[in-house]
Amino acid sequence: MSLIIKPNTGLLFMKVGLHAGESFEDILERKKQEYDDAGMIFWGYGGSTCHPTRHVQPFAKMMVEEHGDIYIVMEEIDSHHDPTVILAKEYSEDGVNWKPIPKGIEVRGSRYAVVLEELEEGDLDLDLSHYKVAAGPSTGRIASEYIGGRVDKACITMAAEQSSGVEPKIKKIHHHAKIKQPFAVFTR
Amino acid sequence: MKIDLRKAMNTISDVVQNRPPPLREFDQIYMKVGDLVIQADFIARQFDGKNVTFIGDGDAISLSVMHLRQKEVFTYAPHHVLVLDFDERIINAVNKFARVNDLSDKIEAVLYNVCDPLPEPYRGAADAFYTNPPWGASNDGQSVTAFVRRGIEATKPKGMGAVVIGDDKKLEWTGQVLFRTQEMLIEAGFIVAEMIPGLHEYHLDDAPDLTSCCFLVRDVGAARITARASLPLPSAALANFYGRNNPLQFRYIRDLSGLNQGRAPDSSYGLEVL
Repeated sequence: MSLIIKPNTGLLFMKVGLHAGESFEDILERKKQEYDDAGMIFWGYGGSTCHPTRHVQPFAKMMVEEHGDIYIVMEEIDSHHDPTVILAKEYSEDGVNWKPIPKGIEVRGSRYAVVLEELEEGDLDLDLSHYKVAAGPSTGRIASEYIGGRVDKACITMAAEQSSGVEPKIKKIHHHAKIKQPFAVFTR
Repeated sequence: MKIDLRKAMNTISDVVQNRPPPLREFDQIYMKVGDLVIQADFIARQFDGKNVTFIGDGDAISLSVMHLRQKEVFTYAPHHVLVLDFDERIINAVNKFARVNDLSDKIEAVLYNVCDPLPEPYRGAADAFYTNPPWGASNDGQSVTAFVRRGIEATKPKGMGAVVIGDDKKLEWTGQVLFRTQEMLIEAGFIVAEMIPGLHEYHLDDAPDLTSCCFLVRDVGAARITARASLPLPSAALANFYGRNNPLQFRYIRDLSGLNQGRAPDSSYGLEVL
């Protein structure tokens, strides 16, 4: 996974786990099948720290234009997600124009989805103290200080300079994927 | 002067209850209620007896100051308030609240988007302007200067203004936007007469600690460019209006609440018979 640790690589960091009553292992299996069937994955999520048009799309476009690729990196956690199982029937890139969810794709209990290439496995220690927030009103904050509590995901890039006096905050990453256009969508 | 805090909070509660849910897509992020009272008090004092044009007002500071005065929590308030906003839900909420609370002669709300020239009747008509615009984290403050520009156009020569924008020493972009905004105001002939740093907090889950300042500006007649023509926003200013690669695309948000205004939408709940 050294590929994604090049300086200037854009990352969407996300804590993952049980979601809509489904274990992370089951989600992974379903999403691998989704990639086989549809050639892409819609990885559902919620909250407002990575809004599709406010945060993810602008960040991803900038990263792709300037540095090539952007990746999602997933940290597994014990999640107690609300088991609301509502299947999305439509998706939208802009929140205005809606299309049917592509055949083979299933998004459960999520307002948004990030659009992925194939999920890949590997081991990586990601030190969030070396990264900074790169989208939204917290742009510039050290990622290790930003991510925590209710904030469980963020668009981040490696900081040009390491801040002195900041404790390392290592995250174990076992799954990642390249994010593909249109990067993130609304679902309903 | 002392304020009856309980009465003030309950009066503000009327206003808060009246606001439509915020749309984060358009940077509608509501100020926390305690700070709303403090801000309303500050603005009511500064703009006492004046005609004030609000360039956008999701927080409902305009209704707050007028309602607090009407309920005699304050003894000071603007003489008249005009609210210009591109969200029809806000326009309808303000006008309905004004009707119900006998404020229709003191407050009026009109649909308007800052991308358009300011309509002629509103140009140079106010004693003061007020704005709490999208804070321009990723656009070098272009969204802020667009709103402030309309505020200047709405105000008479030698008028005043109040600007609320992000202010956090830990976030470099807030300082850059503050600098850009004050630079633009100085070029337009205004001075910063007063600034209260880090005054307000917001219901903002991706930056819960982010605060905003309020600064008052005053036209001292030193404009380098004296004409106050009102022109459409240039396309470059629209391209990154809500952040980098995040353009202003929509002229208005339309109100589809119908008879459900101020109530939970029917689609948000179901009933189960006993």
